[in-house]
Amino acid sequence: MQAAFIKHDGYQCGYCTPGQICSSVAMLKEVEAGVPSLVTDDLTASPEASLAEFRERMSGNICRCGAYSNIMEAIQEVAGRKA
Amino acid sequence: MRPFTYERARTPREAAVAARAEGAKFIAGGTNLLDLMKLEIETPTHLVDVNGLALDKIEPTGDGGLRIGALVRNTDLAADPRVRKNYLLLSRALLAGASGQLRNKATTAGNLLQRTRCPYFYDPNQPCNKRQPGSGCSAIGGYTRSLAVVGGSEACIATHSSDMAVAMRALDAKVETVQPDGSERAIPIADFHRLPGDTPHLETALTPGELITSVVLPKPVGGKQVYLKVRDRASYAFALVSVGAIVHSDGTGRVALGGVAPKPWRDEAAEADLPRGAKAVTGRLFAEAQPTDENAFKVQLAERTLGAILTEARANP
Repeated sequence: MQAAFIKHDGYQCGYCTPGQICSSVAMLKEVEAGVPSLVTDDLTASPEASLAEFRERMSGNICRCGAYSNIMEAIQEVAGRKA
Repeated sequence: MRPFTYERARTPREAAVAARAEGAKFIAGGTNLLDLMKLEIETPTHLVDVNGLALDKIEPTGDGGLRIGALVRNTDLAADPRVRKNYLLLSRALLAGASGQLRNKATTAGNLLQRTRCPYFYDPNQPCNKRQPGSGCSAIGGYTRSLAVVGGSEACIATHSSDMAVAMRALDAKVETVQPDGSERAIPIADFHRLPGDTPHLETALTPGELITSVVLPKPVGGKQVYLKVRDRASYAFALVSVGAIVHSDGTGRVALGGVAPKPWRDEAAEADLPRGAKAVTGRLFAEAQPTDENAFKVQLAERTLGAILTEARANP
């Protein structure tokens, strides 16, 4: 995940980056473990590894530089999906 | 932050005894209390840590319901297969609240006990009857867009911010407690949160030291269960208006509102009008409303949000 953040330029000032990376790793594990989120359509099924799920699950991490789109590209790469 | 002493309670009763003292408070997830302590809005002199009490289980009750331990984290409650299957409204409401990190720490009891997010409560430079009883209410005549339209008083128009509590109200939950003398009681959720009246600093029916041990859901009621939360951004924000609804195929059901009142707002007589549509229900729910120019939109927003739920329920029962 660290390498993916560097590759996709998932930060500017770097202040929020440690939290973004920790949340990214943990959030992907939660998706894998079947923990539901606000945007999970069917709560009786496992959540999808989708961009909408990632965005919702990362919403507690604020980035004032606005690196969100690059952070999402890094996460999607690690999750095995091409941005 | 002010200095305080700290202890870990070993039993619920011991916790209740320790927290009975003036200035003592329980701490569990700390997701609200620590913020308020840093701002010196809460200034406990003693913290009783209840995290070690074995109150983190979700267990079936004898009559087909579910007993949720006070320390069950919001994430775990929302993800519990029994809750997702039989109490969908509760899962949806929990997932609409806070952020993943907060839900991982926040507890069931703490969620019920969270303080208001009224901006004047958070500003120590302004009078607030909740923060400092008798000092006055800065919100009345101030900026009221996010504040209560119904159930408030001349002393306070703060809203209760919990999403989970709205679902608990619609599901007729009971709050189980233990007192310092060891006696136990079950408080219906409708009676748990108090309206402000002239004592807005008193927010619940709990007495000094009384500890929430669990929240009990009655047996599942079925129906289509929806929690629709309208807010200024799509995630990680408090509700302007939220509607928790259970709609049965015959058009009857239940409705509780968040974001509009000092407690989850439900009226069983009003929801008897559900088959007649959203306006009939919200008309009664807001019969005593006293909105301001800035928050009158909430009345219409609640009607439209409930209307959207009913339309969807009719199309996809």
